[in-house]
Amino acid sequence: MTQRILVWDLPTRIFHWTLAASFAGAYLTAESERWRDFHVLLGYTVLGLIAFRLVWGFVGTRYVRFALFARCLPYVIRYLAQLLRGHAWHYVGHNPAGVVSIALLLLLGIASGVSGWSVYEESGGDWLEELHKFTSNAMLAVVFVHIAGVLVTSVLHKENLIIAMITGKKRGLANQAISSSYPLIAMFFLMVLIGCWIWAWPDSRDEIWFREIGQGLKLSLGFRGR
Amino acid sequence: MKRIGIVFLVSLVSAFSAMAEQPQDFLTTFAGQAKIDNAAFSGFDASRGEQFFKSRHGADWSCSTCHTENPVAMGQHTVTKKDIKPMAPSANPERFTDTAKVEKWFKRNCKDVVTRECTAQEKGDVLTYLLSLGR
Repeated sequence: MTQRILVWDLPTRIFHWTLAASFAGAYLTAESERWRDFHVLLGYTVLGLIAFRLVWGFVGTRYVRFALFARCLPYVIRYLAQLLRGHAWHYVGHNPAGVVSIALLLLLGIASGVSGWSVYEESGGDWLEELHKFTSNAMLAVVFVHIAGVLVTSVLHKENLIIAMITGKKRGLANQAISSSYPLIAMFFLMVLIGCWIWAWPDSRDEIWFREIGQGLKLSLGFRGR
Repeated sequence: MKRIGIVFLVSLVSAFSAMAEQPQDFLTTFAGQAKIDNAAFSGFDASRGEQFFKSRHGADWSCSTCHTENPVAMGQHTVTKKDIKPMAPSANPERFTDTAKVEKWFKRNCKDVVTRECTAQEKGDVLTYLLSLGR
């Protein structure tokens, strides 16, 4: 009997939504020098989040492991063909097309983050700026394909995958559930993330309110002014 | 169609000679565009360019906010506090030698300072001002 079971652990869900927000924020702040510091901070956040995900892909719960991803890959073509015919198999974790989009997002995220870092530090040639633009736009394109895939699959299987990425629960057999959502690791992950943001909060701006927020946040965590 | 053809040719030529531009070439390009924009175009003016460069255009930033009132000197990004090399070609011969960079930065910075793209007249005036410095 299928029931609602825990599939996505909490660190994975937090990773998913913070990555989505960071990438969206970085994309939106790309065109102006006014937001350059936030653009850079968001880009570094993308890199940091992906670094966590790479580790989590080896030590995380059942459905987020790269080993499972690799076993899924050969079935991509078949899955896409099934999608076209309108009756794709239901996967408890990621479906094969989802695995491809995740792999692409991780790779493009790394390429975009590293090339962006190099552009900011002016440590490479002009081609890196072109690479940064290309990888960021390619990443946005994959995001749209990913969202489209989520919507199509949600309708097809009558299972809201967006809610699933919030609650962590999907349809499956009781013995397919993961045993824990790892709330302690999630809390640690969130604390490191928030700590990094407060530490790196851009304090180079002239606006007084902006500096005061930064100073206040830092003092509350025991940081002394840089 | 004729317009498209000209734009295509110009971009083709600029693509093949990307690194070979001289500041003077940009003045020629800007003048050509300014004539199309305004039949009464009567050349570029360094003092008008200086005024444009130092004016805040009703908002909080001017070009000189980052590039300083003395474009022969080093500038500093007002947000990131990173160094910016001098804008005047006399102090930094790399300036205005690469079409892609000139287009990118005029587009990006004009949006930040004047909240629109700059006209060819404005770009030509500013370049004329920058070229008049340190000679």
